[in-house]
Amino acid sequence: MECNGCEFRPELYYDDQYQIWVRIEDDGSLAVGMTDISQTIAGKILHVRVRRPGTLRPAGKPVATVESGKWAGPVPNLFDCTIDRANHEVLDNPALLNMQPYDAWIARVRPAKTTEEALAVLVTGEAAYAGYCERCRRDDIQCKRRNN
Amino acid sequence: MAGQRYLDNEEKSVIIVMTSGPSTPHRCATPFYMAAILASMDADVKIFFTMEGVKLCQKGVPENLTAMAGGKTIIEFMRDAKAAGARFYLCRPALPGYEMEVANVIDEVDEVSSGGVLADLILSCDKTLFF
Repeated sequence: MECNGCEFRPELYYDDQYQIWVRIEDDGSLAVGMTDISQTIAGKILHVRVRRPGTLRPAGKPVATVESGKWAGPVPNLFDCTIDRANHEVLDNPALLNMQPYDAWIARVRPAKTTEEALAVLVTGEAAYAGYCERCRRDDIQCKRRNN
Repeated sequence: MAGQRYLDNEEKSVIIVMTSGPSTPHRCATPFYMAAILASMDADVKIFFTMEGVKLCQKGVPENLTAMAGGKTIIEFMRDAKAAGARFYLCRPALPGYEMEVANVIDEVDEVSSGGVLADLILSCDKTLFF
C-alpha cells in the first residue's frame, strides 16, 4: 500500500504523526523504526545513536537521535519502556533507514506495562492508512528511496 | 564523546543565544540544527533571539532565507528545532532597533521576554551557546 509514493504497511503500529512504526517481535520486544515519510523528510541519514540498552525511557523521551546533512531530530517514544538493544547494522550503515525503512529497525524496546497497553497509544490498520495518507497530502510529501 | 554509538548523557539545560541574522545567512541554520540534536538528547533547550537574531522571528524573513543556495529555508530548520522540543524566546528590547512589532512575529515564538529573562536563563542553565 502507498500514498504519494510513500510505502505503508498496515500490520505495523504508528504514532499519530506517522514518524515511527512499531512491530511486535517473537521475543516479546517491540521493534521501532522510521516510516517512509520520516526517511524522506530527513534525507540521506548519516548518523544514528540509540539510548544505551537497559535505559528506562518514559513516554515522550526519545529512544534515539537521527542526523542527516539537513535534518536532525528524535526517534519519538510514546510509552514507558526499557531499551533492549540497538540494530548494529543500522548504527554501522544508517543509510539502511533510507533504503529499507520498514526492515531496518533502529531499536528494540520492552514496554514497562503490557504490550497491549503500549500499543493502545498507537494506530494501525485502516485507520492508520487514512491518517498516513492525510499526512502525505497535508504536507505534500512525495517519498523517495535512496539506494546508498 | 565523538563517535559514541549509545546515548547515555544526563539531562541538561542549554541556552542558545541567537544574535546572527539575515546579514549572515550562513550562520543561521546550524544553531537550529544543534538545538534539534540537543533537544533529542533530552536537553531542555531554549533559544533566545536578540540583536540581529530577532529578524529571524519577523514574519516573511525566515521563510525566504537559506544558509546555502538551494538549501532548506531557515524557517524549516527552526521548525525542526521546535518539533524536537526547543522553545523560542524573543528579546523585546531589541525589537525597536529593527523596526519590528510583536504583532508581526512568527507563530513559532513561545515568549516575548525582557533582557532580564535572558540573564536569568544564563545564570540558571548548564550550558550557554552564542551564535
